[in-house]
Amino acid sequence: MHRRGVGAGAIAKKKLAEAKYKERGSVLAEDQIAQMSKQLDTFKTHLEEFASKHKQEIRKSSQFRVQFQEMCATIGVDPLASGKGFWPEMLGVGDFYYELGVQIIEVCLALKHRNGGLITLDELHHRVLKGRGKFAQDVSQDDLVRAIKKLKAMGNGFGMIPVGGTYLVQSVPAELNMDHTVVLQLAEKKGYVTVSEIRESLKWEKERACHVLDHLLKEGLAWLDSQAAGEPQYWLPALFSELLSQDVTPEEANQMTP
Amino acid sequence: MSFEWPWQYNFPPFFTLQPNVDTRQKQLAAWCSLVLSYCRHRKLYTLDVLEAQESPVFNNKKIERKLSVEAIQVVFEELRKKGNLEWLDKNKSRCLIMWRRPEEWGKLIYQWVSKNGMVNSVFTLYELANGDDTEKEEFHGLEDWMLLRSLQALQTDGKAEIITVDDGKGVKFF
Repeated sequence: MHRRGVGAGAIAKKKLAEAKYKERGSVLAEDQIAQMSKQLDTFKTHLEEFASKHKQEIRKSSQFRVQFQEMCATIGVDPLASGKGFWPEMLGVGDFYYELGVQIIEVCLALKHRNGGLITLDELHHRVLKGRGKFAQDVSQDDLVRAIKKLKAMGNGFGMIPVGGTYLVQSVPAELNMDHTVVLQLAEKKGYVTVSEIRESLKWEKERACHVLDHLLKEGLAWLDSQAAGEPQYWLPALFSELLSQDVTPEEANQMTP
Repeated sequence: MSFEWPWQYNFPPFFTLQPNVDTRQKQLAAWCSLVLSYCRHRKLYTLDVLEAQESPVFNNKKIERKLSVEAIQVVFEELRKKGNLEWLDKNKSRCLIMWRRPEEWGKLIYQWVSKNGMVNSVFTLYELANGDDTEKEEFHGLEDWMLLRSLQALQTDGKAEIITVDDGKGVKFF
């Protein structure tokens, strides 16, 4: 008498059934993939339309750029991701920031001779706008900050030091540690700082204060004023407000090291 | 026309000789530029060191900073090295300031001469520097010592010859 379900025949049948299921499974997966692919295509087309429609907007309006960046951040996308990629290419935002980065480098290089490679965001903004001329697109400080972050990521020696509600942009890889940074922040108010002020505000030993100030002198970021009443003052050209609109003189241009 | 001061002029540390070598180089270069352009503006050809200390160039009353005598000497030494300054005495108390070199003056004078078709004419030094004809020219008022050097430069170039005219000196242009 034959028992059902056992024996070579049953095994073969089972194997066949499994195979059919597998086939079905892969058919199912194929289906899904085909459907996803179609969805992706549609998505891509929509995105292309969006990009071309808003590319102009992206270039023209800093307001739009901020909102756009925030939107991207929410969905976990970095439109400025380096290297070739779907997003940067698709949305064409990269071009704008790349060009801005180049402009920033130019401004910083032109003034490095004067301020040692340290410039306020305000002055940088002022000069970038000036360089772009009357008919150029509007550039906000937010744009500058993003472009600088990109430059920093690319290892161009750029950095940003928060001071008094804004930033000091560093374009030379001078070694500035926390001590230096905090003294710069102190100097921001008046454009200069003294040993006493440092000791009073930061509660440091005299030696520590002098060490930092010496470093700033050495890096060409600060100049010594020994005729100040009371004690020497250390002034930073980067924070000298009268310099804000002063163009680089021909003499200064001649002195710039290539 | 008022003189335009460079940004450094209102920057207090500009009047302190900087301890950092690189910064000092920039500072001295800026000082040299400033001294030369100020002298050019005021048509000064000589400077007295003691007087200079009180001149607005080295003494910015507005920010209450002035360059010390030692620092002024350092600036002057820089100018001397660049060929823009010559000491008139061993004590270095007075100097000639050449914000334009003799060759450059010579060229300007010769340009004026040829432009007015006066090549082959003879001029006394006085006529050149102080005559009515040259009133509008930059070299008008040029001091004798500089005028002579400029003409000597032209002479070397074969463009002029310094001659004696009456009791003084004159020049013929070719």
